Amino acid sequence: MSADAPTADTPTAERPDTPTAEKPTADGSVADDAAEEPRPATYYHLARAVLYREYLIFVRYPANAIGGIVVSLFFFAALFFGGQLLAGQALTDSIEGIVVGYFLWTLSVGAYSSVSNDIGSEVQWGTLERHITTPFGFAPVALLKGVAKVVRTFLTSAVILAVMLLVTGTRLSLAPVTVVAVAGLAITSVLGLGFAAGGVTVLYKRIGNWLNLLQFGFVALISAPVFDLPWTRVLPLAHGSAMLQRAMVDGVRLWEFPLADLALLVAVAVGYLFGGYLVFHYATRRARRLGVLGDY
Amino acid sequence: MARSATNERGGPRERDAPQIDGVGPADSADSSPPALAIDGVSKRFGDGDESVLAVDDVSLTVERGSVVGLLGPNGAGKTTLIKCALGIVLPDAGSVRVFGTDVGDGRRAAYADVDAMLEGARNDYWRLTVRENLRYFATISGVDPDSVASRHDRLLDRLDLADKADTPVRDLSRGMKQKVSLASVLAGGAELVFLDEPTLGLDVESARTLRTELRRLAVEEGLTIVVSSHDMTTIEAVCDRVVMMADGRIVADDTVEALLGGADRDVVRVASPDLDDRVVAGLRDRFDVVGFDADARPPAVEVVAGGGRLYDLTDALREAGVTPAAVRTLQPDLEDVFLDRTGTSPGGAPR
Repeated sequence: MSADAPTADTPTAERPDTPTAEKPTADGSVADDAAEEPRPATYYHLARAVLYREYLIFVRYPANAIGGIVVSLFFFAALFFGGQLLAGQALTDSIEGIVVGYFLWTLSVGAYSSVSNDIGSEVQWGTLERHITTPFGFAPVALLKGVAKVVRTFLTSAVILAVMLLVTGTRLSLAPVTVVAVAGLAITSVLGLGFAAGGVTVLYKRIGNWLNLLQFGFVALISAPVFDLPWTRVLPLAHGSAMLQRAMVDGVRLWEFPLADLALLVAVAVGYLFGGYLVFHYATRRARRLGVLGDY
Repeated sequence: MARSATNERGGPRERDAPQIDGVGPADSADSSPPALAIDGVSKRFGDGDESVLAVDDVSLTVERGSVVGLLGPNGAGKTTLIKCALGIVLPDAGSVRVFGTDVGDGRRAAYADVDAMLEGARNDYWRLTVRENLRYFATISGVDPDSVASRHDRLLDRLDLADKADTPVRDLSRGMKQKVSLASVLAGGAELVFLDEPTLGLDVESARTLRTELRRLAVEEGLTIVVSSHDMTTIEAVCDRVVMMADGRIVADDTVEALLGGADRDVVRVASPDLDDRVVAGLRDRFDVVGFDADARPPAVEVVAGGGRLYDLTDALREAGVTPAAVRTLQPDLEDVFLDRTGTSPGGAPR
């Protein structure tokens, strides 16, 4: 269209006041319009759009994922070889537990930081505001993004797990359904923490960076003494971590766990996810009240 | 594009007219609610002495298909008013209706046909290509992107982005990024579009192109557009109606023509070597002399002389023995109008 666009410098020349929408154009765009009727988008279309966007960014910019894998493996190597020097046989005896715990920690950090950082980025780009002013709102988009982040984190953590098993010569039970279900539900609670942190970041931009330090607190949650202190099972990760240890070290299958354990795993996951989303919802509402949403 | 999308989706017009006006859907378009109705909206930021009243009891109605400019200096309340209309900022008082739907009550329904390009934000995803952005934002706006694929092609063509359709936005120039942002706003078939400082930071050529395309899209697509800017060229070029804001309040609201016509600034600039202080003093007795530049070569005087007063001026000049070397009319612009109303230029400089 630039070829026929007025280019004179006067306001008058810039105003093509004659409507041309109904006039057929050389490329037959009016005929296209008649044949093309916009159809409403459903939640299926929304899910496809959000997941496809996450997929594109993952495959188009692999440096972030590869960087995360390299850093995680570096820390594990330092932990493993340094530990061998200091603790010798004691470390080797407990290496299975350490590998499982580290696997869960990389999953947790991946889910938490990707969600909280992503919300910060969306605020900064002005895209969070655009989601708020749509018929779907941001809630389903945020949840779908969370799902995408978890899938992505599983892929990168699987690579880390494979390298850890090779380096340490450890053998673990890797029943896919059990591992994915238990680990997935365990880190769903962390996803909730990520939403809460994202919400706090929307309100208080600078605190957001400090909240990234929370991920080191996950180590304590993963190694929480759930047998000595049963109440710690309601904390994020703790109960799921204990179950994942049994699944991967002792080879317990998903259907072999007591129903109460599975129910608690689901309850903790849903509870923290819902709680985290509520924090995010109220934080964005307060940001809209204060006029600081997108005010970076 | 926007209309058919709205109709297909059972847009706000069809859904909300009965609730709002108490009339049936068979009513004529004339009785349908306006695109935007802001009523008594106020917003204060902060508390106590430090607080700022950003928007002060503003009421504004924007009819369907019109292009309205919000003109005012930085801090006048333009962006806050737009964000209040969008629900991104919650007002302290007042109500906002979009196509008849109260934003506070049925926000989701209200936003089926609204989108915005906000100042200083990317508004889209730079790591996705241009076309991927259009498809994504069409989807979240409630339209299946496959069903509007050829319309997206047409939009890209119109904005001269067709060659860059499969290029990641981050690789484009600033002017093109701005056009992608506009395209993504239009991708979902929004009927009411808010554009906050759309030409800010663009070079002269890019800004001119964007203005041209904006006006063309407004006319051809039948969009309702609210453009906020402190750049009068943009407002004059694009808008039918101008709402001037200062200190959170509306200080003028009229068509561009009416505002310029009411400016009473039909000034004639006469340059002549015969002009001196004595002659100008004589002119001041009979006319409104708004300027005299004695140092110009030749000296020049500016006199308000619209309509028949122009004959009086030429008579007076002849009587004073002044032979004009050059005569030029000075057209009033929106900046003059704004200066008259507020004592401040839309760019923020005091008079």
